[in-house]
Amino acid sequence: MNAKSKDPERKGYRSLLRAENEAVLANIPLPLEIRVHGRGGQGGVTCAKLCALVYSRLGLFAQTFGDYGMERAGAPVRAYTRIDRNPIKNRNKIYSPGHLLILDPSLLESGAMGGVRPGSLVLLNTPDPLAFFHGAYEEFRFAVVNATQIARKHRIGTSAVVIVNTTFVGAYARVVGLPLESLKETYSSLGLINDFEAAREAYDSVTAGENINPAAVSPMVTSPGSRSSLDVIPLTELTQDLPTPLKTGSWRTQSPRYVTLKSPCNHACPAGNDIVGFVQKLENQDLDAAAEILFGTQPLPSVCGRVCPAPCMAACNRGQYDGAVNIRGLERWIGDHATNYSVTKNMSASSKKVAVAGAGPAGVSAAYTLARAGHQVVIFDNQAKLGGILRNGIPAYRLPEEALDRDLNRLLALGVEHRPHQVITSVELERLAAEFDAVILATGQADSIAPEFPGIDLPGVEQGLTFLNRVKTDGKERIRGTVAVIGGGNTALDCAGTAVRCGAERVMIVYRRGRLEMPAIKEEIEDILLEGVELILYRQPVRIIGTGSVTGLELAEVQLGAPDGSGRRRPVVTKKLSRIACDHVLIAIGQRPNMGILPSGWLVRNQRVHYDEQPVNIWLAGDLTTGDGTVAHAIGNGRRIANEALSFLEERASCSMELSSSVPEVVTADGMRFSCFTTKKAHQDRRLDVASRIEGFSEVNLGLPIENESQRCLSCGNCAHCDTCLIYCPEGIITRLNQDYFINLDYCKGCGVCVWECPRHAMEMSPQG
Amino acid sequence: MITGNHAAAMAAAMAGRANRSGRGFCSGVYPITPSTECMEFLCLQDIEKGHVVKVESEHSAMAVCVGASAAGARTFTTTGGNGLIYMSENVTVAAYLRLPVVMVVGNRAIGPPWNIWTDHSDSLTLRDSGWVQIYCWNNQEVFDAVLMAFRIAEDHRTLLPVMVCQEGFVLSHTMTLTEIAYQAQVDKFLPPLQLPHRLATTPRALGTFDTSHMIEAHREQHHAAMGMVWSAYREAQADFERIFGRHPPDPVVTYRTDDAQLALVSMGTIAETANQVVDDLRGRGLKVGSIRVCMFRPFPFDALKQAFAGIPRIAVIDRDISLGFGGALWGEARGLAEPGAIVQNFVTGLGGGDVRPEHIEEMVTEALGLTTSGPPVFIGVGE
Amino acid sequence: MKGSESPHYRRLLRPGNTNCGGCGMSVAFQMFRRSIGETNIQLVIPACCAAVAAGGFPYNAYEAPVLLSTFASAASTASGMAQVARLNGENTRVVCWAGDGGTYDIGLASLSGAAERNEDILFVCYDNEIYGNTGGQRSSATPVGAGASNIIKGKLEPKKDIMGIMAAHGIPYAATISLANPDDSKRKFERALREKGFRFLLILAPCPTGWKSDPSKTVELVRLAVRSGLYPVIEIENGRRWIINIEPDFSRADLERYLSLQRRFKKSEIRPDDMRRAIDLLWEKLRALAGCIT
Repeated sequence: MNAKSKDPERKGYRSLLRAENEAVLANIPLPLEIRVHGRGGQGGVTCAKLCALVYSRLGLFAQTFGDYGMERAGAPVRAYTRIDRNPIKNRNKIYSPGHLLILDPSLLESGAMGGVRPGSLVLLNTPDPLAFFHGAYEEFRFAVVNATQIARKHRIGTSAVVIVNTTFVGAYARVVGLPLESLKETYSSLGLINDFEAAREAYDSVTAGENINPAAVSPMVTSPGSRSSLDVIPLTELTQDLPTPLKTGSWRTQSPRYVTLKSPCNHACPAGNDIVGFVQKLENQDLDAAAEILFGTQPLPSVCGRVCPAPCMAACNRGQYDGAVNIRGLERWIGDHATNYSVTKNMSASSKKVAVAGAGPAGVSAAYTLARAGHQVVIFDNQAKLGGILRNGIPAYRLPEEALDRDLNRLLALGVEHRPHQVITSVELERLAAEFDAVILATGQADSIAPEFPGIDLPGVEQGLTFLNRVKTDGKERIRGTVAVIGGGNTALDCAGTAVRCGAERVMIVYRRGRLEMPAIKEEIEDILLEGVELILYRQPVRIIGTGSVTGLELAEVQLGAPDGSGRRRPVVTKKLSRIACDHVLIAIGQRPNMGILPSGWLVRNQRVHYDEQPVNIWLAGDLTTGDGTVAHAIGNGRRIANEALSFLEERASCSMELSSSVPEVVTADGMRFSCFTTKKAHQDRRLDVASRIEGFSEVNLGLPIENESQRCLSCGNCAHCDTCLIYCPEGIITRLNQDYFINLDYCKGCGVCVWECPRHAMEMSPQG
Repeated sequence: MITGNHAAAMAAAMAGRANRSGRGFCSGVYPITPSTECMEFLCLQDIEKGHVVKVESEHSAMAVCVGASAAGARTFTTTGGNGLIYMSENVTVAAYLRLPVVMVVGNRAIGPPWNIWTDHSDSLTLRDSGWVQIYCWNNQEVFDAVLMAFRIAEDHRTLLPVMVCQEGFVLSHTMTLTEIAYQAQVDKFLPPLQLPHRLATTPRALGTFDTSHMIEAHREQHHAAMGMVWSAYREAQADFERIFGRHPPDPVVTYRTDDAQLALVSMGTIAETANQVVDDLRGRGLKVGSIRVCMFRPFPFDALKQAFAGIPRIAVIDRDISLGFGGALWGEARGLAEPGAIVQNFVTGLGGGDVRPEHIEEMVTEALGLTTSGPPVFIGVGE
Repeated sequence: MKGSESPHYRRLLRPGNTNCGGCGMSVAFQMFRRSIGETNIQLVIPACCAAVAAGGFPYNAYEAPVLLSTFASAASTASGMAQVARLNGENTRVVCWAGDGGTYDIGLASLSGAAERNEDILFVCYDNEIYGNTGGQRSSATPVGAGASNIIKGKLEPKKDIMGIMAAHGIPYAATISLANPDDSKRKFERALREKGFRFLLILAPCPTGWKSDPSKTVELVRLAVRSGLYPVIEIENGRRWIINIEPDFSRADLERYLSLQRRFKKSEIRPDDMRRAIDLLWEKLRALAGCIT
């Protein structure tokens, strides 16, 4: 049949068409009445029109109209279609439809089934499978399709108001045996061809019940209510308040809910601190509550609050707005000021004895975790005082002894026993393993790496850590002349700063990459430059010059090549050489663990010692095994290993939350609504003036002046009770009782304003049902 | 000696004062010939607990009345002709919200072509608006009808707005001797308005969406309230007579119709002329009578049917024309005559044309000559 | 605003109303109700979505007495109510709650009349820039470039300057409300309720159905309109003193995002650059009026 012959004006055209489609029409009882129930915005009226147009293409007469009223998006809407072989003259609404199409399952309960006779076709858009309706609607030809899901997948409509009509008609065509081709033609002619794929999907996925039991009576079928005019209150007699009884919650296709997602700071913290938690408590001016949260994971807040490179701050979403929150400063504030707070300790029913070897951050963290869990802990360490690298390797101007002791005293207050001057050997280790229920080995990276180039043994060349330790312990070290420090980490900077304070005339840091690649804390680099230290970048020492003692350093120029495993660009040493004159060389290019203390034949697997393929009650923690190199990493690892050991001792599966693989979604800057916040510059730490600094070893960073930096925390992914959801809810149905919000879902229309407006991504929408 | 406009304004002001122990009086007004002097006079009155809002249009004038009435005040306005047509949307609101607004209509032809003189077409256009309509034939009736209007409007059995119609210029601008009441009498006749559905502090919406069948119920109730006007009016007449010593006219007033072979039916001042003609013709031996329809809504079917009983010829005089049909009064009245009676419609006096005795005699002559009733006949056209 | 909410607050627009999800007018009601306290409010609502929202007889979706007036008559109907409240010594605040049709267009004459008479009324216009109730036809509040159901290619004429019109009446207080700035809004609602005489508030109220925007973006659209300078947030005292409350950043990104979050500008031939120029001119005028000529 060509296009010309489809001229609708041609006489007899309809009967010709009908004859052509007689096979299809044979299965359709005529005259046919179709009633569509939908909600405003779903396209119920168009659905009825589409049905009419499809039948009209088969040569039938059709009539279609909507039941217009005061409906708004989401409110119940009805539409009607009549199909016949003859012109249609009945203009009333349809009370007993042969085909009942329901676009929203909630309409089943609000009278949609009224007047439908047994044997009629009922097609329902629902997420539930046919089996869900078992036992109900048996007297009808009952079919279901999940048109909302299909239409949403094909992005028809908006997230809140999914337009399901075009999809749904696909299912209808299948159930009544209308050819998909005539559907396609109809959609094309209406410019709806983009929706045809969704219709095809519905055509394929609709499911219908097999048998009809005309005797069954569904409980939900009600006839449309009739009202006598006597029931209507006269206008002059309406004196009482009758609040609208409509439960608009049934309009909803998606529901808002409150969620707690992971903030980037919490995600980034190697120590596993709940940063959002303690900062928000600080913001509520509850220092003890903040301490309780922080001290739950952090035995060394005063230390980390000073020396941590703060990956949390690098990850802070506010960094992409107006500057990261000074989290380190806030941590320090708690460590230094929460002196009244005493750490709680659980009483364990089966107290175990655990030995911790090494009093550095990993050992301290392990001991702290175990002691708080109620176990007896003994720390063995080769030094006189606790602290390990923190005490020996970090200069006092960066980490004063009293700050370190403040943290360690908190540990000792938990009843941890300290055995100083205990050198751990393999023999000693075997003894401890026998004597204690568990041993945690956290001796760190005890050996400094020495470069392999000529002149390394000359007098005046020294390992940086040895230098730092000596300066700290004797306190009278003086340096004359020029000092060159090799390395770019915090130890290199500490060496340089210490050399300045010891009277060196000139101090240089030689580093093989650029300033941005230096692993040291950025603020510390700025400090050291203020103190007069020079950076010699992209230079690799190749030889220490001198006869009898150091006189200089020969450097090769470095170019940066492809990134290495750490993401930093790999230095490529060239043959371009230069020299600098110096009197001292301090080596600060890193340390490595001494694994020699393990007896031969003992192997480490997953941070646990194994012998003969069997696990032994010795665990390794911190830099000794991870080599991460920061205090925060050591703390995190120390705790994790302590918990591992505890799981073993308490004969339970390793169920540590922190090792769980289901990490909640991290809130990125994209998920934040910065526009809700006013810009506020970060509060900077107060710093000692440069002249006073280099006179001695007074602490340079004096910390935050007040704790109100906490107000800058956006509390990413964590409800901060800001009431934004409540203020913007168009329905006024979000209420707050103390710290809990309630959404009255009886009325929630699922618009999503609360979720979109939540400044911190602490709400989400999920599809209804 | 006062004009109809002043009579209306005085009655309205006194009715307003009478509500000082209630929620007061509030009026929205906008000038239009021939009702301007009524609104001007009202604005100059000193009304305790009363205020006249001088708005920017008739549409707003009635809106002020709707708002004030819903808030429980006694309300009044006046307009006519195009002013009434422009106001008409809110005229229907006052009725459908069942607010007892009283309005004096100075009847005027609707233009353009402009014409400022009298014609019943304006108020009759709004005969279906749900208002009670009273048509007056002299200034005294205007004064009395305004007071009666408040009484029946505010009656809890009715709660309907009332339109008091006076012919522009013929009454509105003509000074005659008129008895004015004392305030104390009016206070006695009009107790303070108590609107049962007044908006106060209880959350309640007036005018919300009615579904199809619900609006049917509200119309049915409205129609039933119209049916209550008769008894409310009768009781008010009795009270009025007791207090003021005058008897306001019945909804239908007959004049010498007992043995009449022809009755002239009319509204307003034409009836006064018709009665003179009746006297004249009876003097000449013709058995004619006159019937005045004083209340057009609700329509006095029973009274008119009774008045028509036994009269073989009826001439209905309309000072209006429902174009394409005929006079509105004729349309309502013609079915009430005796079977076989001839009911002939005469349209006259449009746009202020005088309806003189000879015009009415011409109608009588024509009507007596008819063997069957014909289409409406225009009398006095183009004179 | 934080911590201001008790679970037992007085609702003005009740849950269960039939407004579309994400309706800007609904958000406006929620903002307004936080300012009313124990004040007795009487609402006058002309024909518009807010009238439909009242619900079907005999129910009431408002927690206040409401009179539904004819389309053109909100201000005059309210005049009657306010006068009766005054005559009876009541401190009832009569509030008109009208759409842009009932304000800029069919309601303008009665609005102007009531403003000129300085009636003791608060007139609130929730402006969705179309005749939303009838399916989204153009109004004189439709901005240049926006399409409507009867102007597919976008409106060629600029939006009527209703604030200028109201200022010209010399009314005691007029202000525009930004739904994205609840604190500023609360202050203005409170002041507008407190002042005597005629007060006018304009609220840009996105209509997800008419603007073809996602319902969740209702407040965001206002925020973008404010930041881009399209919707000035101002106050006018006694028709003379113009105050700019929120300084936009006039960012092009915000303007483009504003346009992209709704489909009514899709078929328009007006480019962001054209709008940019119109915004510049608008602000030049505003700054002159506010006495801070740049």
